[in-house]
Amino acid sequence: MIRTRNLWITVLLLWSLAPLLWQLYTSFCSNESLIHTFATHQHRWTLENYRQVLTANPPFWRYLLNSAFVGISSTGLTLLLAIPAAYSLVKVPRNFARGARLFLLGAALFPYVLLFLALLEIARSLNLGNNLLALSFPYAALSMPLAVLLLSSAFRDLPSEIEEAARLEGLGLWQRLRWVLIPLIGPATASTAILVFLFSWNEYPIALTWISTTDLLTLPVAIARIAGSSVYSIPYGAYAAATVLGSLPLLLLVIIFQRQIVSGLTQGAIKG
Amino acid sequence: MIQLLLLPAALLIALIFGIPLLRYLWLSFHADSVITSLVAIPNNGANWFRLFNDQRFWQDTYQTARFAFVSVSLEIFLALGIALLLDQRWRGRGVVRAITLLPWALPTTVMALGWRWIFNTPNGPIEQFAKLIGLQHLYGLQDLNILANPSLTWLATVVGDVWKTTPFVALILLAGLQTIPNDLYEAFDLEGGKPCAGLFKITLPLLQPYLLLGLLFRLAQAFGVFDLIQVMTGGGPASSTESLALYAYLNAMRFLDFGYSATVMIASFLLLVFICLFGWLVIHQTKHFREVVK
Repeated sequence: MIRTRNLWITVLLLWSLAPLLWQLYTSFCSNESLIHTFATHQHRWTLENYRQVLTANPPFWRYLLNSAFVGISSTGLTLLLAIPAAYSLVKVPRNFARGARLFLLGAALFPYVLLFLALLEIARSLNLGNNLLALSFPYAALSMPLAVLLLSSAFRDLPSEIEEAARLEGLGLWQRLRWVLIPLIGPATASTAILVFLFSWNEYPIALTWISTTDLLTLPVAIARIAGSSVYSIPYGAYAAATVLGSLPLLLLVIIFQRQIVSGLTQGAIKG
Repeated sequence: MIQLLLLPAALLIALIFGIPLLRYLWLSFHADSVITSLVAIPNNGANWFRLFNDQRFWQDTYQTARFAFVSVSLEIFLALGIALLLDQRWRGRGVVRAITLLPWALPTTVMALGWRWIFNTPNGPIEQFAKLIGLQHLYGLQDLNILANPSLTWLATVVGDVWKTTPFVALILLAGLQTIPNDLYEAFDLEGGKPCAGLFKITLPLLQPYLLLGLLFRLAQAFGVFDLIQVMTGGGPASSTESLALYAYLNAMRFLDFGYSATVMIASFLLLVFICLFGWLVIHQTKHFREVVK
């Protein structure tokens, strides 16, 4: 029994990690040795791929920085709008709240890639193209449904006596939110924030169409652009180095915030 | 007054979701392309007639549906296994759960590029392994040439999608598993039920709402697949992996035909709504789901 379980755990780990490990392996291989993967070579191991990626113009960390910037600003904007909305969703009449939740669920299901063309038109007419900060608006809107659902279920779970007591103490709405309620939903806020951050960090179609200046590309677009640059002779070693560098921040993020991610996703499933 | 707090979020959602849909509806009844110098001119539904006779659109619809159904079924099946495994108690479970989550957290484009290398011919590991065991002879070929063979490439994209999104489904199912009280299994054991029968008599019926939720979510996402296909295959070879979203994208950004692109998007959206409504009706038949959503 235990042995079969260990076998399945091994299979699961292999399945999850093998493609990543292959990229890691590739990133340290010289181009000649990649062409004959299983043959032996004198100059197999190299750091050349990393040197190439990090000294390119602009250097690779620039994209990481751009993505981080977009991720943080979108997360901030989302929370700023979602927390009040989630709070009021608990206070409004029940039928209205139920309708709103159903609507939000529908919006969360919506394959947003279909929106890119009209969003591009909006960006053009408002002159928001090539502006990293402007990307936070679509990103915040797209993450809003999930954020409001998660946060409002956290507000709903708080015992109403707490807010009642705070009201009797003479705290106004803003003070109650700021000093009592928001600190209490801290864990749910953290889960929401990390999910929104991941979404904004990884988003592709909108960033692809809004940003064209090389210096401002976010990580997913930069990576895809490498892919489109030369279809026939592709420098896979350099690619692999780029994918490894691009995965590292997320690897850290997942390890550090594993608990928040899991509880965010599972709360979304249970309460959604 | 408290409703006012909803307003900013609602406005932003209306702006980003609502305006595009209305705009597409309007655009789909106009010619707006290079030919009209990018000026929208009403064309009496010519876009829609074109759509119904557009073989590429229907081909892409079929391909998208095929991709969505195959990958989502595989994901649900695998995710169920993973969730059952992670639901048990064993040492190191947290670490394994984090590692399982990793594929889901990475940007799609990053690993789409990775998969292109893994499926590369002749240097990728899959191709070399296939050659080693002589798989190409089954097809009567010199090389499998996975990413250049229209009958195989879409399967490669399915692998990429399953690898990335199974963790997401697994977590939803894991959440469902954790709501099932252990007493049920104990009672079942006392009654002399076989352990395997417990899976079918207790776990799956109680997990049903979560299975359907995961199914609905993934179906909608898979139906709009874009990033993976665009980077991994570019829709090729010979448009054999092109999805509806990619077709709409190409119409707008490559053929510069915005009117028709909008028509394709509205049509894809309607198809998806149709599928989801169907799914929703099925879900509503199950009583338990209503209790969970309430």
